[in-house]
Amino acid sequence: MPNDVPSKSRINEVGWLSKSAAKAGLWIRRSGIGGQLLSLVIVTGSFAIGTSGRYLSAANLQVILRLASIPAIIATGLHQVVVLGGIDLSVEGVVALCVVFVGFLARNRFNTNDVGLWIVPITVGFGGLAGIINGLLNTKLRIPSFIITLGMSWVLWGFAVFVSKGQTIPLLKNPLSGIVNGNLLGIPDLALIAFGLIIVIQIIQDRTRFGRYLYAIGGDEVLAAQAGVKVEKIKIAVFGIAGLFYGLSALFLAIQLESAQAITGNNLLFPAVTAVAVGGVALTGGIGGAKNAALGALIVTALNDGLILLNVNPYAQEAVNGFVLVTAVALTIDRRKLGFIK
Amino acid sequence: MISRIKFTATKGVKLGKRIHLLSGIALTGLFYAFFTLAIARSASAAEPKTTLAISIRTLSSPYQVMYKVGAEAFAKKVDLPLDVLTTEANSQKGLTDIKAEVARTGGNVAFFIDPNDASDALPIAKALEAAGVYFVTWWSKPSEVKAWDYPHWVAHISFDGLAAGTYTATELLRTFKTPGQGKIIALQGRLGDTPNAERWEGLHQVLAKNPEVKLLQWESAQWDRTQAYNDTKAMLVAHPDIDGVWTANDDMAMGAIQALKDAGLAGKVLVTGCDGIPEMFDAIKGGLAAATILNDGKYQAQLGLAMALAAKEGKLDVKSLPHKNRQFEIPAVNVNRDNVNQVVHDYLDTTPTYDLSNFFAQWSTAIP
Repeated sequence: MPNDVPSKSRINEVGWLSKSAAKAGLWIRRSGIGGQLLSLVIVTGSFAIGTSGRYLSAANLQVILRLASIPAIIATGLHQVVVLGGIDLSVEGVVALCVVFVGFLARNRFNTNDVGLWIVPITVGFGGLAGIINGLLNTKLRIPSFIITLGMSWVLWGFAVFVSKGQTIPLLKNPLSGIVNGNLLGIPDLALIAFGLIIVIQIIQDRTRFGRYLYAIGGDEVLAAQAGVKVEKIKIAVFGIAGLFYGLSALFLAIQLESAQAITGNNLLFPAVTAVAVGGVALTGGIGGAKNAALGALIVTALNDGLILLNVNPYAQEAVNGFVLVTAVALTIDRRKLGFIK
Repeated sequence: MISRIKFTATKGVKLGKRIHLLSGIALTGLFYAFFTLAIARSASAAEPKTTLAISIRTLSSPYQVMYKVGAEAFAKKVDLPLDVLTTEANSQKGLTDIKAEVARTGGNVAFFIDPNDASDALPIAKALEAAGVYFVTWWSKPSEVKAWDYPHWVAHISFDGLAAGTYTATELLRTFKTPGQGKIIALQGRLGDTPNAERWEGLHQVLAKNPEVKLLQWESAQWDRTQAYNDTKAMLVAHPDIDGVWTANDDMAMGAIQALKDAGLAGKVLVTGCDGIPEMFDAIKGGLAAATILNDGKYQAQLGLAMALAAKEGKLDVKSLPHKNRQFEIPAVNVNRDNVNQVVHDYLDTTPTYDLSNFFAQWSTAIP
């Protein structure tokens, strides 16, 4: 019966499919995002069932992608500092000051300034500058990143409040408004931008010497230094890159809300750190990449959105977030590196 | 290799020493600078004039800035010097600054205080009572601590949050296609904050009277605009067919409006807030928002300072005041689409001249 014998092309097709599935499986296992993808599937699946499918509606997926974009950009900047074994707590201060700059320089209702598209390099550049200062203080004065970035956050926040006199600066229509609030083929432009940045950073981490040095320092700083890695330069660069990403987020935040106020920076640090930890970037350094940070941001946003869609009591929502953070850190932390638990 | 490590180690120690030395010099310099500054200030304060002082949270919010503007106008009117202290959300700094101000003026000072945290009212009251300084507090204090237990604590005053919540909710219901019949979502501020709880209670009183209005869902957006934007976006997926959004403050209202704009619903579904920030007035004028209230910080500062000063000058006999005049609430200014232009002109563009002859003219309810 010739019909029972599968044709040759069909065998090839099955073979190709299983081969690529195996390849994908290997890639996922190697890159250490298996657990994150699994949790994303579990989160999505359970919410899809809980909301009888509404969670997976195009409208909601659009909302999730849009809301995950800015945390993902911040986390992509922040996680590299964490990979180095440090932490960057300056997000809120950097964003606050950058947002206020946007307020004064983009078209607004307070003054007649309009720098047009120059606002992008100005804001991003300023964020980068703040990051480089973080890095310089951290490496040259040998102050722990935890303290120096926390201090910087307050300094910049104070400066932002001082410059803006605490006022909210309403923005007028910006040439970037269309991009920030728009969609391309149903996908929010912001998500595409975030995706592009994540890919770039991931490639740098995987394919370049800079990336290898990054993980060498995160793994063991003393060994890396002895092997000739210019630890200080790499650190300063990483803080600088993080700052660039914060600056960009600030620009998007201001344009999204059509207003600039110092407190726009508030409440950004906790979600970003949660995203980094949930994504599987070990707070002890050396483990995890841009894809981890981005996935973490996506999981955290998907979780929050689902809790709202399920109409879970807001009192419980906060608790869920804290629980997720502690669990994620417990699962990813490298205990061999911890002599003492403080 | 070993010698190289040794070398870097000693270099590190040397650098460390140098930094210690440098910071030592810097600290000494700073100390002298402060010292001379302090002497200069206390010398200039030798004049017998009473100092007016306000202790507020920050100058980073337009509302708190109104305190300063109001206080400055009052200080000018009575021709007395004014000091503005800010806690910057740090309770300890708040208390320390207040004590320092008392020491600097030799107790010749009258205080208006917006405590950073409710629990701060007690140590502040104890410190000022011990120094014999008259003061008025606003907004928050622990409910078991009573102003009338302290002879120098002239009064504790607050804005009527219940009335604010009731007013904005009532205005929101008026904007429905079928007034008094529809579905709403709501945003609360930080759960546990007193003004939030009062405004929320106000909304519920209105809902109880209007059974045909359904509150479909609420979230806590922590008084924050970005969070409000995010939460509203998510809620709009679940409830695309709402008739209104009630929020506990204007910043959250602005976030909700932005989310409604994305969904093409701005102007069709109206929003209400509280506090009276300038953008909210624009939103009301532009047909995007229905109502808010204005907590008139200028009047607040003037009333507080006037009462404390009157007590200090013996014009107000604190002891003889009944309890209901020692702890009370006053109503805010109601703002809707009909009066928004007038309110902006009267209270924001200009500083009104308040009649401060009767401190209890605005009294609405007693705080038990």
